[in-house]
Amino acid sequence: MNLLLQTLLDGLVLGGVFSLAAAGFSLIFGVMNVVNLTHGIIVLIGAYLAWSAQHFLGLDPLLAIPGIMILLFFAGYAYQRTLIQSAVDRSSLLASLLVTFGVALVLRNLLVLVYGPDFKSITPSYAFTNIKLGALSIDMVRLSALGASLALIALLAFVLYRTDWGRVIRATAQQDFAAGLCGVNVRHVYGLTFGVASAFAGAAGAVIGIVLPFAPPDEGHWTMKAFAVVVLGGVGSPAGALLGGLLLGLINTFTAQFIGPAFPNAMMFLVLVLMLMIRPNGLLGSAFGGSR
Amino acid sequence: MSAASPILTLRGVSKRFRGLTAVSEVDLDLPAGSICSLIGPNGAGKSTLFNLVTGYVQPSAGTIEFAGARIDGMATDRISRMGVARAFQISKPFPGLSVFDNLRVGALFGADGPRDADAVVHAALTLTGLEAQARAMASSLTVGFLRRLELARAIATRPRLLLADEPCAGLNPSETAEIVDILRRMRSRGLTILLVEHDMRAVMEISDRIFVLEAGRKIAEGPPTEIARNARVIAAYLGTDEES
Amino acid sequence: MKRPLAIVLIGAAILLLGVLPFFALPYHVRVGQLFLLSAVLALGWHILGGFAGYWSFGHTAFVGLGAFAAGLLNFHFKLPPMLGFVAGTLLGGLVSAGFAALVAYPVLRLRGIYFAIALLGMSQVLGELAQNVDAFQGALGLTLPDVAPDALRPEVFFYYCFLALAVGSFALAAWIRSSKLGYGLAAIREDEDTARMLGVPTERYKIITLVLSAGLTGLAGAVYAYSLGYFTAGSVFRVDFSLNMILHSLLGGIGTLTGPVIGAALLVFVTNVLLGQLLDLHLLVTGVLVIALVLLAPNGLLGVARRWRERKGR
Repeated sequence: MNLLLQTLLDGLVLGGVFSLAAAGFSLIFGVMNVVNLTHGIIVLIGAYLAWSAQHFLGLDPLLAIPGIMILLFFAGYAYQRTLIQSAVDRSSLLASLLVTFGVALVLRNLLVLVYGPDFKSITPSYAFTNIKLGALSIDMVRLSALGASLALIALLAFVLYRTDWGRVIRATAQQDFAAGLCGVNVRHVYGLTFGVASAFAGAAGAVIGIVLPFAPPDEGHWTMKAFAVVVLGGVGSPAGALLGGLLLGLINTFTAQFIGPAFPNAMMFLVLVLMLMIRPNGLLGSAFGGSR
Repeated sequence: MSAASPILTLRGVSKRFRGLTAVSEVDLDLPAGSICSLIGPNGAGKSTLFNLVTGYVQPSAGTIEFAGARIDGMATDRISRMGVARAFQISKPFPGLSVFDNLRVGALFGADGPRDADAVVHAALTLTGLEAQARAMASSLTVGFLRRLELARAIATRPRLLLADEPCAGLNPSETAEIVDILRRMRSRGLTILLVEHDMRAVMEISDRIFVLEAGRKIAEGPPTEIARNARVIAAYLGTDEES
Repeated sequence: MKRPLAIVLIGAAILLLGVLPFFALPYHVRVGQLFLLSAVLALGWHILGGFAGYWSFGHTAFVGLGAFAAGLLNFHFKLPPMLGFVAGTLLGGLVSAGFAALVAYPVLRLRGIYFAIALLGMSQVLGELAQNVDAFQGALGLTLPDVAPDALRPEVFFYYCFLALAVGSFALAAWIRSSKLGYGLAAIREDEDTARMLGVPTERYKIITLVLSAGLTGLAGAVYAYSLGYFTAGSVFRVDFSLNMILHSLLGGIGTLTGPVIGAALLVFVTNVLLGQLLDLHLLVTGVLVIALVLLAPNGLLGVARRWRERKGR
């Protein structure tokens, strides 16, 4: 029983991180109908930035998050307004897919050149403290990771549903042509969306950095996990990302514990494929209406 | 099958969409080798009727027979291979293929299979006056030519029945006259044509028989001269004194 | 390009490739091998991706299936080398095609990005199963006997094997393209619903194409395994196989016949000959190439050539 509960708890913690990591990807997919294959590398850039902050400035990774988010917001905005918009204008369904993939390759190579190919990890000051909840235990690192994840997802939801800019983004997502007619600068909105998504992806990277070791080749996995979260939970909403992420986290830990430590990825893909066949829009469906 | 027996027969055909009855108990006999028009105010159920015949939707009630065989319940591609073609109002050409290749797809997969596909394509090009555009990309054509491509591709499938969805919509008078000409040429080759059309002049000019729908029901049928004088039809289009 | 001229050029190219091993260094023969393998894989992918418009992101699954079919056959049955080679290769093709037939119906109902990701997911699952399930020996690896005849160096022998496969794939692609199936696939690519309405048997055609594509890739996978001599799950279930198939087709020109081959030639040349010593920059250059391709030459090199010819003709 305890093993079950412990696995459940670990799954939820991991799932929280997955949710945060996928939220930005989901937003871009929902608002712009772009599958952003650069997502994983942006997450990793966040992790590397957090590592650098700790290594060179002695800054706690979670405290580095605001700085990382601001940096990546502007970078993401610029990236979208230049390369991605050009690709989308080509009107080929898969053009943006390929451009984002190309950029991911370039950035991955650059990361290897700058930081080296080996795994890095971030060890915050409270790293080896454990908290006991009855018979279960959870370490401070995971707890703060979970806390940060939930807080950041809540922040994203707040931005989307309670601020003016969030409303504009959602309106543009539902009807970009009509939004344009109402005076919305649609391209600017797309840039903002991408900027916001990149900021949160980077924040997720910082959180991941304290939980798991990371290296440039991981970027593909993080993009795939984001896709799995979206397929499971639904496109475009933080709630969908949360639901999908938590489910994925649970699948991950339960598979590792009860089937074998080598099988979580295989199980994730199996669930992904099955979900695509049964309900490709995810459990909560597309937040912006219509089936994409 | 004698010359008098209809090529398309609808008996008691109804279609309900979750509370909305789009088509209600329609009986229809379409004489072979004729051009007939299906008219009625917007929302009368004309497009739904087309969708029922081509198998895009299934009837909630009633039977549809084509050339003596039951086709209600069949899949679209099967019905198409039996000889029922449809030309859409909003043209859907294959944009990356040339006009010739567009028609070739129709010819290869139409009724009777791919024998003499190239000859069929040439015939369709001649019939619709598209010989000069044969090698052009479909994406480069203007609306008038696209409409002809739509008809040509439908003809290339060697149908026995053509359902044409507002072929004259959005065309100027001379373009409309060209389309009417093409339809007449198709009839003289033995093709049966059922039109949905709002251009009344074209309808009166070309139809052997007119079927009038209103709110899903057939309210009148007959030759153009009778329909023009039919009080119920006039009321359906213009409203009666009580309403105006 | 006029038909007779094209045939002469292609014939000349095949002839040139045929005599290459007699003049070239072993290193160049190996690069040639890589080019021919890439060409076969790209052509196989392209039948489904370029002709029908269904982009698979997981075709490496079929490479792996082919390799493991051959490897496990040899592992369980000690056959004379050449017989084992032929039987293993055929089995590789059959197993891949069979697996494709099995998943075809559900998977081909998906479109666009969902289809792409579903196949990616499938290839990842297969790769992981091959690695982690003991019966497949994927972690320990499988060894295949040396099947090259004594008269030929191994790299030359496999060069000719891949050349034969490449010529065969090219011939298959050419035949499909001008056949009724090919026109049906083009219609599916352009507008699947309209194609259906015109009478194209879309489900059947898509399944046939996926099975052919998978079978061809499986054959290549088996021969590839033999050319390695020893392989693990990681050596044959490789993401870059899937990626390169797409890139080569894109680079040369999606929807064309020779595009995948030209793309494969260029990219293999760039990464192996030009950048041979600069391994550190492979990803960067590939990435920049992809971006430039999409933004500047979306129809690939053949598209650029066509536009250039059209402009000259004015």
